[in-house]
Order: sequence, then structure tokens, then C-alpha cells
Amino acid sequence: MGLPDGCFYINATMIQNEIIKKIRFGGQTELGLVYAEYREEFLRWITKAYHCSDDDGKDIYQLTILIFYDNIKQGKLETLVSSVKTYLFGIGKNILKEHIRKEKRYTPIHQEKWLKEYLVEEQTQIRDEHAFDVAGVALAKLGSPCRRLIEMFYYEKKSMSEISEALQFKNPETAKNQKCKCMARLRKLFEEELSKTQNVINHVY
Amino acid sequence: MCTDKNDVTLVERYFDADLDDVGMQDVNSRLEADGAFKALFEQEQLLIQAIRYHDQRDKLHYLKTMEGHLSKNVHKASSRSLRPWHYLVAATVIGALVVAFVWLSVPEDPNKLFQAYFTPYPNAFEPGVRNIHKGTQRLLALHAYELGDYETAARGLKQAYNDHPEPGVLLLLGNANLTLGYVQEAEENFNTLIKNYDDLDPQAKWYLSLCYLKRGDVDRAKNILKELSETEISYASKAKELFERIN
Repeated sequence: MGLPDGCFYINATMIQNEIIKKIRFGGQTELGLVYAEYREEFLRWITKAYHCSDDDGKDIYQLTILIFYDNIKQGKLETLVSSVKTYLFGIGKNILKEHIRKEKRYTPIHQEKWLKEYLVEEQTQIRDEHAFDVAGVALAKLGSPCRRLIEMFYYEKKSMSEISEALQFKNPETAKNQKCKCMARLRKLFEEELSKTQNVINHVY
Repeated sequence: MCTDKNDVTLVERYFDADLDDVGMQDVNSRLEADGAFKALFEQEQLLIQAIRYHDQRDKLHYLKTMEGHLSKNVHKASSRSLRPWHYLVAATVIGALVVAFVWLSVPEDPNKLFQAYFTPYPNAFEPGVRNIHKGTQRLLALHAYELGDYETAARGLKQAYNDHPEPGVLLLLGNANLTLGYVQEAEENFNTLIKNYDDLDPQAKWYLSLCYLKRGDVDRAKNILKELSETEISYASKAKELFERIN
């Protein structure tokens, strides 16, 4: 709603932090809104500042938005001291500089590979990439209701009450029990898939 | 792995942040001394990491779908308002000479400025609408909006808003009306959006300023643009640019 003239800066800060709040408690729609809002300016800036193509700029922008989203969901970003725009430009600049540093020159970014490396490098222990891929297969076999539930809990950091309401469980306790069952199923599927691939490896040798 | 069900529960509770200090200490000491327990712990960590990665990947596909629609919209908007590029280059060169002459003395035509700055807001609310044969009035209208069929979109969005008022629908309805030249209706839509909701104020104000510009009410357009240009939101730079061009 409109505010008196003297309140513009308070209003701006409020809007920035409102965006964070909305993403934390919301989902895809809020992500889409942020994407649409800053897209034009970001693309104009990155293509001009780093002489990359429009398509490469879009790839970097998509990763930027995902990292922004991830930082909010993981609780790393709670309030902004700068504007959302400055924050996004900062992420984009870091992604591009780090990519150029690794590749020694400018090459188009492989988004899925980049995301995987980003998540793996964030952990203190280095993970077995093969096991990581097998976990992905197990997750795909888990089926959508279970997968959605554990995604909401482990990634979107939703509470059991929110999950219970969104997925229409009887109560938060039922949602919690269901989450434990889903994780048990995921572990079982992972072990099955892992032993399958190990059998193949043994057979080859 | 030589671990029992209690260990699985213990690890799961660790990652669910459901352990007290004693439980946390138990996990930490077992991690140092018990190899099988450590393997179980790392497996759980890996699975949670994979959940996060796959959700990120799904979100990436969603952004790509959205990008496809946004690029299409920009392309449509450009093809409506621009001639082929070589004409544009020629016009720019000639224009630059003329502009150098009149830039500081003659304010630009508000309607032309409207044409240059108006791009319908993308459907960021439910892009890539599918299964429209099973869809509600709202989905049909969003689909029409994405296709650029603004007549159908305006009718459907109006109905959808009356049935179930939500700010996103009102923003798109205002945009559909403005695209069709129904400036008064669009103004009403954006004013309602500013008055009744907090969610989309900057967007509503930006498009409201374009409504004023479209009907030649330069002073009111300038007031809003000045307000937007003094904020730190994403519209600030283009609001400032447009404000200066009107001046």
C-alpha cells in the first residue's frame, strides 16, 4: 500500500525483506516473481560487464536465482543489508568469476554439473560421485508423494504442521511418521540400487 | 553395515535437529569411534544432499520453462513495435542527429514513450499452463494471456478475479486491459491492487504510471515515476530513466 513521501527508504527495505520472507514461506511462484523482476536488468548488466552472450547470461542468471533461493531456504540469508538487486548481482559475479578461474578461460556454464559441484563442495567431506548419482536414482524411484514430503522437510525446511496442512495429513504427528517411513524406503532403495551397480562392476571385472 | 534400528533412528533424529545435548554428544563420539555408524551417518547425509540437488534441478527446469515464455513475450513485443534491424540502425543514426538537436528542448511524446516502455508483465504466477481442457477459468485465462490473446485473457481474468480475488490475477488483468487500450479499466485494476494488497505495489505503480502516460496525464505519471525512482527496487532505474525522458 502507498506510504507517505518520507517513508520511501523504509518501504524499500521492507520490500526487500518481504521478498525474503515470502520465499522462505512460499515456493515456486515467489521464485518466479523474483526471476521475472530482476531478469532484464541482470542480463543487461552481465552481458555488458563480462561480454558474455545473452544465452550464457540467462544460464548464469538462473543459477544466481537458485543460489539466492537456496540461501534463503537454508537459513543463510535472513535479512538483507543491501538491495535484492545488489545481492543477486554479487552472486552472479561470483559464479562467473569462479567459473572462469576454474576453466582458465571463458566457456559456457554446464548448469547441472555446476549445481552438483556447488552442493558437494559446500559439504566438509568429499562425496563419492557415483553414490550421489545412485541416490538420485533411488529418489526418482521413491514416487511423488514420498518425494514431495521429504523435499518439503529437508529442502524447503517446512515444519510438520505446514507439511501436514499442505499434503492433507490428519495431523503433524501423522506427517512425521510418514516422513520416517519415506526415509526408510529411500534408504532401502538406495542400498538396492547401489548393490545392483556394484554387481555390474564386479561382473565386468 | 553392523548398525541397528536404534542407530538409524539416532542418525535420522540428528539430521532432523531433534536431539538434545546428550544425544548430540552421543552421535559425535560414535562418529569418532564407530566406523559402521560413521558410514550410516554419511549415507544419510548423502541422501539429504541428493534431495536438495534434485529439488534444485526441478527448480532449474521451472526457471527454464519460464525463461522460454519470457523470451517469447519479449520477442512478440519487439516484433509489434520494431521494424527489421537495418531500418532500426538507419533510424538510430538519423535519430541521433535529430535528438542531438532537440533532446534538451522538446519533451518526448507521452504516447510514444508509453509504446517504448510498455511490455506486458509476464505470467510469473503459473507459467507453462498445461491441461487446459481440464482447467478452471483462471487457467484458461492464464493460457490465453501467455498466447497473447488478451481479449480472452481479460474476460477470463476478470471472471477469475471476481470468483476468487488474488493480486497476481489483478496485475495480469490490468496488463491485458492496458494492452487492449482499455486504459480506464487498467487504471482501476492497478489502483485496487495498490489499495487492497501489499504484494505487488511496485509493479502496480509502474503500470499505473504507464496508464497515465498513455492518456497524456504527464504530471501524475511523473509523480509515480519519481516515487519509484527514489526506491531501491528493480523498477528504480527504468522509472528514473523514463522520468528524465518525460522531463
